[in-house]
Amino acid sequence: MGKESSLSGSLFYVFTVISAFLVILFLLGIFYILFSESYLAIREFGLIGFIFSQEWDPVRDLFGAAPTIFGTVVTTLLALLFAIPVAVGIAIFVTEIAPDYVKAPVSVAIELLAAIPSIIYGMWGLFTLSPIMAGYIEPALQQTLGRLPIVGILFEGVPMGIDLLTASVILSIMIIPLIASISRDAFNLVPSIVKESAYGVGATRWEVIKKIVLPYSKLGIFGGVILAMGRALGETMAVAFVLGNKHQITTSLFDAAATITVSLANEFTEADTDTYLSSLFYLSLILFAISFITLGAAKLTIQRLQRGGAR
Amino acid sequence: MRPYRRRRIENLVAISLCTLSAAIGLFWLFFILIDVVIEGVGALNLALFLEDPVPAGLEGGGLRNAFVGQLLLTMVAALLGVPVGLLGGTFLAEYGRGSRIGRIISLLSDIMTSVPSIVIGTFAYAVLVKPFGHFNGWAGSFALALIMIPIIIRTTEEMLKLVPWELREAAFALGAPYYRVILSIVYRGAAPGILTGILLSIARVAGETAPLLFTSFNNTFFSVDMNEPVPSLTVTVFQYAMGPYENWHAQAWAASLVITLFILIITLLGRFIIFRRYGKWKTL
Repeated sequence: MGKESSLSGSLFYVFTVISAFLVILFLLGIFYILFSESYLAIREFGLIGFIFSQEWDPVRDLFGAAPTIFGTVVTTLLALLFAIPVAVGIAIFVTEIAPDYVKAPVSVAIELLAAIPSIIYGMWGLFTLSPIMAGYIEPALQQTLGRLPIVGILFEGVPMGIDLLTASVILSIMIIPLIASISRDAFNLVPSIVKESAYGVGATRWEVIKKIVLPYSKLGIFGGVILAMGRALGETMAVAFVLGNKHQITTSLFDAAATITVSLANEFTEADTDTYLSSLFYLSLILFAISFITLGAAKLTIQRLQRGGAR
Repeated sequence: MRPYRRRRIENLVAISLCTLSAAIGLFWLFFILIDVVIEGVGALNLALFLEDPVPAGLEGGGLRNAFVGQLLLTMVAALLGVPVGLLGGTFLAEYGRGSRIGRIISLLSDIMTSVPSIVIGTFAYAVLVKPFGHFNGWAGSFALALIMIPIIIRTTEEMLKLVPWELREAAFALGAPYYRVILSIVYRGAAPGILTGILLSIARVAGETAPLLFTSFNNTFFSVDMNEPVPSLTVTVFQYAMGPYENWHAQAWAASLVITLFILIITLLGRFIIFRRYGKWKTL
């Protein structure tokens, strides 16, 4: 081992260290840059005031984040609501119900579908789903659920297909493969001896799923849901086509709305004043903070639970 | 214990519901795929690849500029992102294995993978577009690289950890320094997995639109100058699909089909490499 070799060894070591620490640097950098860029908006509208203000008026240079935060939260929650049962259903079907010759192709298909870029979902939503929603599904919902008291206000207005509901449906279709493939991996980790014992004492297939498989893999499903939530929160292109980018808080799912991502995508290049641009940067910072905090908290919880489970 | 009959019925209902929800989910997913194929194939022609766009509203033309731009942006992003990701993952799996800082960076990489890509776009705008006063290709590639890095770091880390520790010890016993062991033994053993990680990260950024919207922006002319706005397929699809012209829509479908096929092929290739190496379909 000559001197030269120890030099290249140290060099290699230093490069790996730098590369790994770049992750920390980038995250801090994103936080710092977004914060300093949104300083103007924070000074103008207040750190908290901006978050709760419903104003979004580029002409008068007044901005607030409440409508976009509302849109982001509503579309994400609705998407999860639609996607979780279907995705877990797919995972159960693939692992516990389907015959072997169906399992492999369906599994691979789900993973490939998870790889399809979001802009494809968005464009399909605009050209195919939105007319279907406006022509059939939304009028039908209005005729049925819309007539009920209280729930009815969710379905008021003229169904145009460019609204919160359509955006949520597209988001949910997009995150289904993600939740399904992670849940499937979790189900596959259930030791077959445990399942066989349950079958052995006469449990039906559903009882095995409900009492053995689901409890055993709830942590894995939770992880998948969290990942999907992160994806839905930050998704831009799948919703940009069909949400209408209207800064308003509405009670009806048939109204156009805006999410943080959609308003960034539509307005960033058009922002003509410094306050406008700074407000958009602040929106970006808020989104970054939301996704960082929820994902970080969820990951830490999962890690802690996993360690607890191993003990 | 409830009566057997009721349990049987409950079982039947629940199993049917699961199968039904699986059918519903798969229906929508295949609906999308088939729709993209049908609409896309109809609009696919040679001019799409060989000609540049014609002025808005006119018939004909193609997206040659966007195809080339997309390749350029993705390649530069890979050149920036792959070395950093590879070396970073090496640190986590080798020098920093089991250390506190290693675990923290690993967790942060996981979180960074989920940072909304449009947020990364705004960051790239602030550092690489605003100071120069105009959109440019470097900012786009930088944003894409930021998305690739945590993915490659995590897959590399996982793949290096799969290489048995005894292999390293055998090499240490021959007097090889640690960096030699990593370069000639560990990398070699983990090569297929690392390659798959890189391929999957390329597949991920190849379909990204949001981070390019205000970094590399778009350009209706053929340009390979990274200091200028560089056209990309995805941004073009966004612009064309939102536009009013029928032939723009057709070209957007065709471009979508090409992007989708490209990504599916890369993803399948990645999985196939893993399949060959480890004998099973493994999710990364």
